Amino acid sequence: MIKLKFQKLLSAPKGEMNLDLDIVIKEGSVTNLFGSSGAGKTSILRMIAGLMMPDTGRIIVKGKTWFDAEKHINLPPQERRVGLVFQDFALFPNMTVRQNLDYALVRNQTIKVIDELIEIIALGDLQNRKPDTLSGGQRQRVALARALVQQPDILLLDEPLSALDQKMRTELQSHIMNMHRRYGLSIILVSHDVSEILKMADEMIVLKEGNVTDKGRPADIFTNRKVSGKFQFTGEVISMEREGFLYIISILIANDLVKVIADEDEVKNLVIGDKVMVASKAFNPIIKKL
Amino acid sequence: MNALTGKITQISTDGKLSIAHVLVNDVVMSAIIIDTPETLDYLKLGQEVQVIFKETEVILGIGNQEGISLRNKLPGVINKIQKGVLLSKVVIDTSAGLVTSIITSNAVGQLALDVGSKVTAMIKTNEIMLSQ
Repeated sequence: MIKLKFQKLLSAPKGEMNLDLDIVIKEGSVTNLFGSSGAGKTSILRMIAGLMMPDTGRIIVKGKTWFDAEKHINLPPQERRVGLVFQDFALFPNMTVRQNLDYALVRNQTIKVIDELIEIIALGDLQNRKPDTLSGGQRQRVALARALVQQPDILLLDEPLSALDQKMRTELQSHIMNMHRRYGLSIILVSHDVSEILKMADEMIVLKEGNVTDKGRPADIFTNRKVSGKFQFTGEVISMEREGFLYIISILIANDLVKVIADEDEVKNLVIGDKVMVASKAFNPIIKKL
Repeated sequence: MNALTGKITQISTDGKLSIAHVLVNDVVMSAIIIDTPETLDYLKLGQEVQVIFKETEVILGIGNQEGISLRNKLPGVINKIQKGVLLSKVVIDTSAGLVTSIITSNAVGQLALDVGSKVTAMIKTNEIMLSQ
């Protein structure tokens, strides 16, 4: 169990904001923190990592107290078993990929850890290159590997994929999920990408101005609660073709392109790239054995 | 998308399926859903819900509709027709509210539909979704 119960007075764009968190995260799960900017998501990660101190409360990870305001316990970042990956992760530019990973080793760790990470995250061909010769996606893979060298209990991901194109994103997502399964890592992921959240997260915590306004399974939060239709997906609008008063909307759902007919009134506020819910009744589709 | 607001007046459940009756103004509409009051928190008597159905699922009829199996029948008057080559969009003023139907232009011609025509808009029970 990971118990996060703390408060912190933060200065936000609209003045002061009291961040108030009281959640329990299951070990080995992926939890998404969701909310508009300034909701307190990054501050939560910083407090878990020990880079910012809560005013009150406790952080208990796997039975070990990382922070307790009353008992004056506040472990320094290096004693908390966390890995951190940000959107723009700074690697050492003068070191090769391999040296960047070596640098993260702590005493009594062997380089076997690094060999294994290089293999799983497929960095073999890149290990002797310097960061500035790598693409954005490759650099994030190195950042991910580096965050995992010390075999953390929690991996904190702060929009790690938001600067990458869709193909890179998908690739990195599967690398992260591989690591998650292999090491039973608990992951806290800050992301706004609906398909990313649906794909990766077991639980979702919705924050608004420092308070938890909703929590639950992402699919429940994004879809089922809204309409009763059971044939329900989320996707991205790829194109919108006008045919008289109708539109033919092409929507990418996971890897499949589907088409939906919509009336002009329905598409008034829709633009290409929008995330949408697609719903129909379970009574309509036909199925056929292949 | 047609969305009308009403209140649930009756719920019949069998196994995992339920039929909900929703009173929209003075018309009762029915929807069958794969949910029960246990699985869907807003499936309860007196609850305000939206009744949602697609324009392309709205059938139009003229004359007597008594011998038709459709449960959702909304009599009204056509207040707008937009004709395309293949399809036409017909807006009907019913006592449940404005309902849009998209049917073939051929059918509009055969039934001689025009603004002011009296028609009944009909939707199958299994084409109706509920939303809070």
